[in-house]
Amino acid sequence: MSGDHGHEHHIEPWGPHDWSHGAPHNSFAPLVMSIGFGVFLYAFANIFVMGGLENISSMAGVMLGFIIITIGLIIWWRQDMSFDGVYEPQGVGAPFRNIDLRKVAMWIFLMSEMMVFTSLFSTYIRYRLGIPNCEDVFLSGEWVEGTTVNCFEPAAHLIASSWFHLAPGAVNTFALIVSSFTIVLALKTAKMSNKKYAKKYDIETANVDAHRSRKVGIYLGSTLFLATLFLTLKLIEWFVGFPTPGPLTDLNHGHSEIKSLFAEGYTIHANAYTNYHYDTSYHGGHDIPTDSALYAMLESGAHPGGMMMADIRVSASTFYVTTGTHGVHVFAGMVGLSYMTFKALRGGYGPSNAVSIEYFGLYWHFVDLVWVLVFPFFYLY
Amino acid sequence: MNFYGLMILTAIEVGAVGVDLSAFAESIGATEKQLTFGILWGIGIPKFIMIAAIFMHLYGDADSKILTMTALFPAFFIIVMIFFIGLTSPGAPTDLPAWCRPPSWL
Repeated sequence: MSGDHGHEHHIEPWGPHDWSHGAPHNSFAPLVMSIGFGVFLYAFANIFVMGGLENISSMAGVMLGFIIITIGLIIWWRQDMSFDGVYEPQGVGAPFRNIDLRKVAMWIFLMSEMMVFTSLFSTYIRYRLGIPNCEDVFLSGEWVEGTTVNCFEPAAHLIASSWFHLAPGAVNTFALIVSSFTIVLALKTAKMSNKKYAKKYDIETANVDAHRSRKVGIYLGSTLFLATLFLTLKLIEWFVGFPTPGPLTDLNHGHSEIKSLFAEGYTIHANAYTNYHYDTSYHGGHDIPTDSALYAMLESGAHPGGMMMADIRVSASTFYVTTGTHGVHVFAGMVGLSYMTFKALRGGYGPSNAVSIEYFGLYWHFVDLVWVLVFPFFYLY
Repeated sequence: MNFYGLMILTAIEVGAVGVDLSAFAESIGATEKQLTFGILWGIGIPKFIMIAAIFMHLYGDADSKILTMTALFPAFFIIVMIFFIGLTSPGAPTDLPAWCRPPSWL
């Protein structure tokens, strides 16, 4: 499928990366990393069983997996560090004739990623439509205090309940969009011809490389910062929460903190989830819709009221698995961005190999694209 | 331009959830939840297209057409998953019409 221009490949200790002689991108590093991921996942799955710590000795396997992955990454990056874009293999047959093979490979990889996220969305839709909504169950009055009901509680019910709860997710959405833009700027800067670059920034042509390296490094570093911000806010939202001091307390209905989802009890083990929304005494009967069955039952004395207890393990699991899978993709992007920022600051990107940034950008935009769907349907609705 | 468009659409998206739309929803004969759902879809689709077409170069480049076809290749499987698994009810295996249940064709 690819041409190698008839050049002889010079094998070196770090692999065939003799780009100036036309060596293709046939690195063995991804195979090493695949083995590492296999070991990691096998060992990781053995540590916890049904949420309980089952086999701590598997931690050694987890660490071994990490080490193998790291070795694979180091080999890969060491091989790529010298890539200056002189040789970019292209497809020679239909349908990808004259298209960079790395670009095609990236799109095929993204296709598989689409399938991963589609299966997660499909699962979410299936359960959300198939299991009665907790609010509907509460208002139907078909529950008794002290007995668990099985229902679907969308995380959005908690998250979209106030601007404060919504803040981390909303900031994250903007952070991802800005990070998509900074990647575009990095690509644009790296791609610009020396002449055009010198003219644009009014500098000597001899200084272009150093100026460009710093600028591309800053854009890639900014993307890395925004990705770090994204995951930090996600951890705050899931596990930490944040204070709302001073005047914010009043805006937060007198509460001095926003609890994390974990502290709210929204966990994958929540088989007896309670929330003030599902407490008739909290509502005092006033906020319960008058046309609901629960209201009629409370009025007639047919329902004693109280706090509804729900098994929300399915809804919490779909939320954490989907948003967590997206978070893992952000983390993978951060790992790649760390290397790319390092390479950029060492003068690694210029017009001849700027497409490397474009191909990483495809992945990063895809991560943004998934969030465009995750955010409204897991956080807002 | 694309970037600013995305920022504005996201701000509308967040606003649509945070702002009380119940009165407006009632005036058009819908519930607030239905209205929010419509707004989120109405904004999500153009956002999706803007990122894919502009940021991911699926529009305007020489190889855009073939790469768009490549990207859409999983669409068949996606449709199968969303419509035939995602939108079915938990009772689907037993509630299927008699003609497509095993006894009629075994």
